[in-house]
Amino acid sequence: MSKETKQKTKIYWKDYLYIAPAVLFVGIFFISSIFYTLHMSFFSWDGFSDMVFVGLQNYKELFQDSNFIISVINTMIWVVSSLVTTVALPLILAIMITQSSALKIFKNVFYFPTALSATVGGMIILTLLSTYGLPQVFAWFGKEEWVRDWLAIPYLNTFIMILMGIWQGIGLNLLLFISGIKNIDKSPIEAAQIEGAGGLKIYTKVILPLLKPTIIVVLLMALVNSFKVFDSIWVMTKGGPYRTSETLALTMYEESFIYNEFGKGAAVAIVLTVVILIISYFNLRNTFKEG
Amino acid sequence: MHTKKSTRTIINIILSILGVIWVTPAIFAILNIAKTKQEYNLGSFWVLPEGCHLMENFQSVVDSGLIQSAGASLLYAVTGAVFSVFLAMLAAYGLTHLRVRHKMFWFLFIYSGTVFPFQVYLLPIYKGYTSVGLYNTRLGMILFYTAISIPFSMFVLRNFFLGISREVCESAKIDGATDWQILMNIFLPMAKSPLSIVLLSQFTWVWNDLMFGLTFTKSAEIRPVMTTVSLMAKNNAPALFFGCIIASIPTILLFIFLQDNVEAGLAYTSK
Repeated sequence: MSKETKQKTKIYWKDYLYIAPAVLFVGIFFISSIFYTLHMSFFSWDGFSDMVFVGLQNYKELFQDSNFIISVINTMIWVVSSLVTTVALPLILAIMITQSSALKIFKNVFYFPTALSATVGGMIILTLLSTYGLPQVFAWFGKEEWVRDWLAIPYLNTFIMILMGIWQGIGLNLLLFISGIKNIDKSPIEAAQIEGAGGLKIYTKVILPLLKPTIIVVLLMALVNSFKVFDSIWVMTKGGPYRTSETLALTMYEESFIYNEFGKGAAVAIVLTVVILIISYFNLRNTFKEG
Repeated sequence: MHTKKSTRTIINIILSILGVIWVTPAIFAILNIAKTKQEYNLGSFWVLPEGCHLMENFQSVVDSGLIQSAGASLLYAVTGAVFSVFLAMLAAYGLTHLRVRHKMFWFLFIYSGTVFPFQVYLLPIYKGYTSVGLYNTRLGMILFYTAISIPFSMFVLRNFFLGISREVCESAKIDGATDWQILMNIFLPMAKSPLSIVLLSQFTWVWNDLMFGLTFTKSAEIRPVMTTVSLMAKNNAPALFFGCIIASIPTILLFIFLQDNVEAGLAYTSK
């Protein structure tokens, strides 16, 4: 401590030049943006006329707006299902793949859609599920009422998009789990096998506890990312039909750039920020616990 | 680990079935790129194309502006990744080995750029860009992509630089090296692998961006590639698939070439 107080007398300006560009970029683009969005959320503004101070009106209106309520519910559906789809499913697949006879092939097959972007993946699935694609198969079985654009069916489309998210998005977590399993210390597993533990028991009692650090990282990352999903929903439904498949990320964009309600859009952004900050707190605490 | 033969067979079968489902959309896309729009709209997407209409479909892709956009995105992704990683490297060096006070504060200041949901940035930057004339310009896109890639690159590089011992610097200083020389001649060569990981991950991130391209551009020659893909006509499925495949070439190439090396760096690729 005494050494630090001594150093305070002299400031090495030249050393600050190294961090200055990064600090300036982040300060100008992001830190100021957060304050400006907060500021804007207290105003009513259509992008052209003068901004009018309305206090908390935007927030009050949001919570009375049925579109916003639907958006919150959809966001919750995305978040809850992301726990299963981006954590549990890749974990089970990873365990199966490490036990299979063709690790490399299966790994690449399941990772491949992740190498495509969410935009490209969304466009392919959108076309596949539109009237002239996969739904045609149901004409063979005489189910003509199924031959339609599946992503245009309200409420069902959210679940279809979540399924698409599984197809396109599990690759990264899958690889993380596979390398996690490969790097596990083998001795406790062998010890358990010698003691007669077999099959499922080895997984629940030995391997899963050893994988816990990887699982926690993936879980927290998945939680934050599930709030931010934008590209795939935008491409597949644009939040429609009639704004039934919007999530908060979409609502923010639509209020601002489609309906020109910039103040309301800013309020949605602030709500989203608060929720993500709460989760990020745990994420950051977890990140720096090791360091 | 020993797995019973019967268990292994069951696992192989389940994975094979899932694997077929997994590749179906891609095969579906490739199977249909040579068809005409009318042929596709007959509703028999599983049938092989009757003739080869690749050139017509390619023409539709060109008309949609996708090739132009791919060029623009290549510019944004390369310059954005290089600038941001360079600036992030300087910051990471300053925050680990130089005499900067309140290092933790400055670290969190820069890192906070990745913590907030990116939607928060849309409105203010859109407004700022329109007022200073950066809206719908190449320079504006490059500056933005540089900015958004800095926090994460800094985070990864700082972690790496923390592992380099102070003695390395001190002995170099005794030999008369300046801080800049130490960074360029000692740190940079040591950090080759984390540097290449962040460069590639930021390149991929910029290439795949849709939302910011949608918000900060309006004309075809400035628009990034994913934004153009999202705007392609949905009623011409074969051309759309062709466009999707072209837009995926860089990321698929990276996936093929890096297969075994990616894993180490994968933990870093998501923001």
